[in-house]
Amino acid sequence: MKISSLRHVRGFDVARPVSIGLMLGIMLPLVILPLLSIFVVGTRKGPGFFWASLVAPEAVYALKLSMVTSFWATVFNVIFGLLAAYVLSRYDFWGRNAVIVTISLPTAIPTAVAGFALLALWGPYGTLGRFLFPPEGKHQLMFTAYAIILANIFVTFPLAFGVIKPVFDTMSRSLEEASATIGATRWQTFWYVTLPSLRGAIVGGALLTFARAVGEFGSTILVSGNVAGHTQTAPLYIFAKYNSGEIGSLEAANAIAIVLALLSFVIFSVLFFARDWLEFETQEV
Amino acid sequence: MIPKMALAPDTDQHVSWAPDREQRTGVAASVRGLGKRFRKSRVLEDVSFDVAEGESLVLLGASGSGKTTILRIMAGLEQPDKGRVILHGKDVTDLPARERGVGVIFQAYALFPRMTVEKNIGFGLKIRRRPRKERRQTVDRLLKLVQLEEHRNKYPWQLSGGQQQRVAIARTLAYKPQVLLFDEPFGALDAQTRVHLRREIRALLRQVKVPSVFITHDQEEALELGDRIAVLNDGHLEQVGTPDEVYNHPATEYVATFLGAANLLLGVITNQAVEIGSASLPAARETRRFREGQSVKLVFRPEDVCLSQDANLPEGCRRLANGVIEEVSFVGAYERLNIRLDLTHRHQAQNEAPLYQVTINTPEKMTGVPIIVTRPKPDTNAPRYKAGDRVAVGLTSFSVLPNYTLARR
Repeated sequence: MKISSLRHVRGFDVARPVSIGLMLGIMLPLVILPLLSIFVVGTRKGPGFFWASLVAPEAVYALKLSMVTSFWATVFNVIFGLLAAYVLSRYDFWGRNAVIVTISLPTAIPTAVAGFALLALWGPYGTLGRFLFPPEGKHQLMFTAYAIILANIFVTFPLAFGVIKPVFDTMSRSLEEASATIGATRWQTFWYVTLPSLRGAIVGGALLTFARAVGEFGSTILVSGNVAGHTQTAPLYIFAKYNSGEIGSLEAANAIAIVLALLSFVIFSVLFFARDWLEFETQEV
Repeated sequence: MIPKMALAPDTDQHVSWAPDREQRTGVAASVRGLGKRFRKSRVLEDVSFDVAEGESLVLLGASGSGKTTILRIMAGLEQPDKGRVILHGKDVTDLPARERGVGVIFQAYALFPRMTVEKNIGFGLKIRRRPRKERRQTVDRLLKLVQLEEHRNKYPWQLSGGQQQRVAIARTLAYKPQVLLFDEPFGALDAQTRVHLRREIRALLRQVKVPSVFITHDQEEALELGDRIAVLNDGHLEQVGTPDEVYNHPATEYVATFLGAANLLLGVITNQAVEIGSASLPAARETRRFREGQSVKLVFRPEDVCLSQDANLPEGCRRLANGVIEEVSFVGAYERLNIRLDLTHRHQAQNEAPLYQVTINTPEKMTGVPIIVTRPKPDTNAPRYKAGDRVAVGLTSFSVLPNYTLARR
């Protein structure tokens, strides 16, 4: 992207360094320094301790669980986001606007409430759970990895949809019409014409969903049961370490936090720097 | 820059891009009594026309006249409320777009942005699951036909507008469409490219012999592209005919004024002549279908007016009235004269010296009926006219139309 700015004064324009400095000055204590302090605390016991914290079985398990549950939540939400975006941009039906608002609702609900809501439905004493997964029954949905996936799906529900829908809306209908007149079925049109144009939105929506799901805490802690080495995700592991009060647990928690911070840094870098590539895919020349 | 494109002759075997089942003569496509409403407003009313085999028909109309709706109904992208669409004798009104086998060239071409030129052209055969070899041969032949062989691996955005259009045409020809439908094919291009491209397309269509329907609001384009022109106005057909018919013998006032400039004068049929004020234009043939005393409109083109500074008009030119030249302006290849006709005074008797009564010395005193006259740039010894000259005005060609514009609908 090329940036050009209007010239307002003769000679040196003091507004440029001042405004850039102001922005960074605000970001520093609010975002940059807290992030840096994770790195400071996480590594202050030396590289040996840092590495040991990373490869501790429970830590590895927590990171893996986070990745896997976030992955499946992402897969689900991208597919659902595609379906919902398709339906909502192609068909008009009674209650359509209500559906659009409902899809976006999970972002505004506190994640703890989201977790409680899932428990209230699927838990052993929940409205559906009491029949499907009774307390005395063999199987439980809540307090398993599946519950974590459900929680992740709930809190990241609108993200992929929110990225895909605008692309659907702005996509020229004439591409699909052309495909139909050429003789393609609805499915062929979607597969060969519509989907390729959505590649950027799908990748972007997926990365966004994944990044958000990996960091999810509030709902996960309620529905997972938070059993170390079993249903403890990386954020829960960090929280547990903070609370444990053992020597070195703070540093161990921060070591995992460093991994999560780097992961989201990579994800958002991809989102930003691959933007041109992704947008190229959506533009219609 | 547009490279000059000479269409590649079909050197190897002769390939027809028209459908195989086609009968060489007869009607390729027809619409019968199309009617369409969008909410309360009527978009189409009882539109019927035929497209003959190999013919190109232009639907000409202003924006909002319903021409795009007709095209979309023919393509199956829109459903008519009334009427049928028939392609090669088969009623396709209830078939979805993909089963009709029509080729639509969309206004912005609608090439698939993620496919190369080659893949765009091959798409129709790919979804028909034709063998790879056949696909490649067809694509090769089409690339040659539209002269894009060296661009086969490019993406649509790497091509010029004209090249994209050729890809769009080739993409439809690949599956031998029953009819080609062009939606404002030159709307997105600049004037120069437009003229160039429509000649190309005309040549291409002559070669592939697929019946085509164009829609446009550009009358020049219509005259050049169409074997026949259907003039649409507010959802109904005003006239269907050859360019010569619609231009020189417009059936309605709308056709006369929409296709090129026209002068309109109100008159009355009197004794096998059109009486306009004090002037009388003998028109035994043209007035035959009217009754005595009927109110009519006299329509004539600016270029069908002949002028003379004495009373002697050239052979074949019927005298209308006298007039005064108000303004002379050069418009490139021709000269345009604004003339005020003196229609308030009695027509001169034979051999009577012309009496010029029109006064245009000051704006307040301007009288007479204004008309516009064009004539080719006069050569050196032809009479030059200047503002204020008094001339006799005659017509070489004109139409007489009933004056019922107000009564209509």
